[in-house]
Amino acid sequence: MKRLAVMVAGLVLLGLGLSQVSPFRARLEAVLHQGGHEFAQVMLSQDKGQALCSQYRDKLPADLIPGFLAEQKALIKYPQSGKLLGDWKNGEKVFTDPKRGNCYACHAGVASEVAHGTMGPPLTDYGQRGTLEAVVRYTYEKIYNAWAYVPCSLMYRGGVHGLFTPEETADLVAFLLDPNSPINRR
Amino acid sequence: MRTHKNRFTVLGLLALGALVGLMAYTQQAKPLDPFEEAMRQRQMYLETFGILPGELFAEEGKELFFRKGPSGKTLEECDFGKGKGVLEGVYAILPKYFLDSRRVEDLESRVYTCMQTVQGFKPAEIERDEVKAITTYIASFSSKAKIQVAPKHPAELAMYNLGRELWYTRAGARDMSCAVCHDQYAGQRVRLSPVRSPKQGLGNEWPAYRFEEDKLYTMEDRINFCYESIAIPKPEFYSDVHIALTLYMLAEAAKAGHSFEELPFFTR
Repeated sequence: MKRLAVMVAGLVLLGLGLSQVSPFRARLEAVLHQGGHEFAQVMLSQDKGQALCSQYRDKLPADLIPGFLAEQKALIKYPQSGKLLGDWKNGEKVFTDPKRGNCYACHAGVASEVAHGTMGPPLTDYGQRGTLEAVVRYTYEKIYNAWAYVPCSLMYRGGVHGLFTPEETADLVAFLLDPNSPINRR
Repeated sequence: MRTHKNRFTVLGLLALGALVGLMAYTQQAKPLDPFEEAMRQRQMYLETFGILPGELFAEEGKELFFRKGPSGKTLEECDFGKGKGVLEGVYAILPKYFLDSRRVEDLESRVYTCMQTVQGFKPAEIERDEVKAITTYIASFSSKAKIQVAPKHPAELAMYNLGRELWYTRAGARDMSCAVCHDQYAGQRVRLSPVRSPKQGLGNEWPAYRFEEDKLYTMEDRINFCYESIAIPKPEFYSDVHIALTLYMLAEAAKAGHSFEELPFFTR
């Protein structure tokens, strides 16, 4: 009887020990809560990908990369129509809108727009790649979820977070690839 | 009251000047270097008005510094890091641990603390604009000073580590962290804004007057502006979030041997 009680107590203590967050993590959470409810809520609701990128300072160990890429790829949704090349005119609106694509923050686009960032590669004349199925698919998936190709990249997962819909993603693809798009005409 | 009125007249004129400058600026075909443009604007203000907008905030801060609180005391009775009444160089050593509040504090939270514990104000009576002005006044005593933030006390070391963790935390609908832009892509631009790393001196220009916004920004204001622009709700002022991030950034800038700009600075 006594032995059983000791064992149960031992197991309970072990369980408690395993369920505790580290003191550092607890302190970090307290700091986040000090920042206010809304701030803490966003900072504490990281998804698995965000948590891994934070933990490894954006440089994932090699053995984690295949699983990470597969999980990110599984998050990609496609338009019901199956068409990955949409309407470039609407694509330009999404591309430019700071609340949706916000692409000029980092990329050069239409050559006449000089107020563009330099953190991403220039997209001017992107359409030179042609419109083979593989190019269209890569472009679609990269825009929808950049982390399906480059883990923890600065380029964020606009499609995954709903900043634009699958249809709008196809419109962005068209803005980059359509020969009539101003990205490809000077 | 008179100084307030004067301040608003001058600010109004300055805003008009900023608008004209901004229009000329955005009409350019080639993007100008934003820092060169800020220096040009600064020169224009000096030649036209003989005073910089930041100095007006510092003037207001001076008045508030010597204003008696409900306890009958002024902020001369507050220790800002080098003993009561010492303002010279204090901004360059903050954030640091204070024994009386048992907390690591940046200048803004220290002002907020002393207005309560020394001057007897209730938190609800303390206006954000007053804290900003007082902060600007005190920071002006560290103009061009070498940054000397070096965590030593265990509470400071803990705060530095928390700041580093926040720096790398990727969150929100834009998957952003401070590090992903300010370390990996330092030296590049977001739109037209150059982005610096702490090792390049990030954080050494606040408090500053931003002519594009016609507003004074402290370090805490600037951190909030960053969070908002990456789709994360801004943290509440005087929180450990600001203090930890500021300590981390300025400690890194100090290691690289950086100094503060002319404070209050004038920037875009």
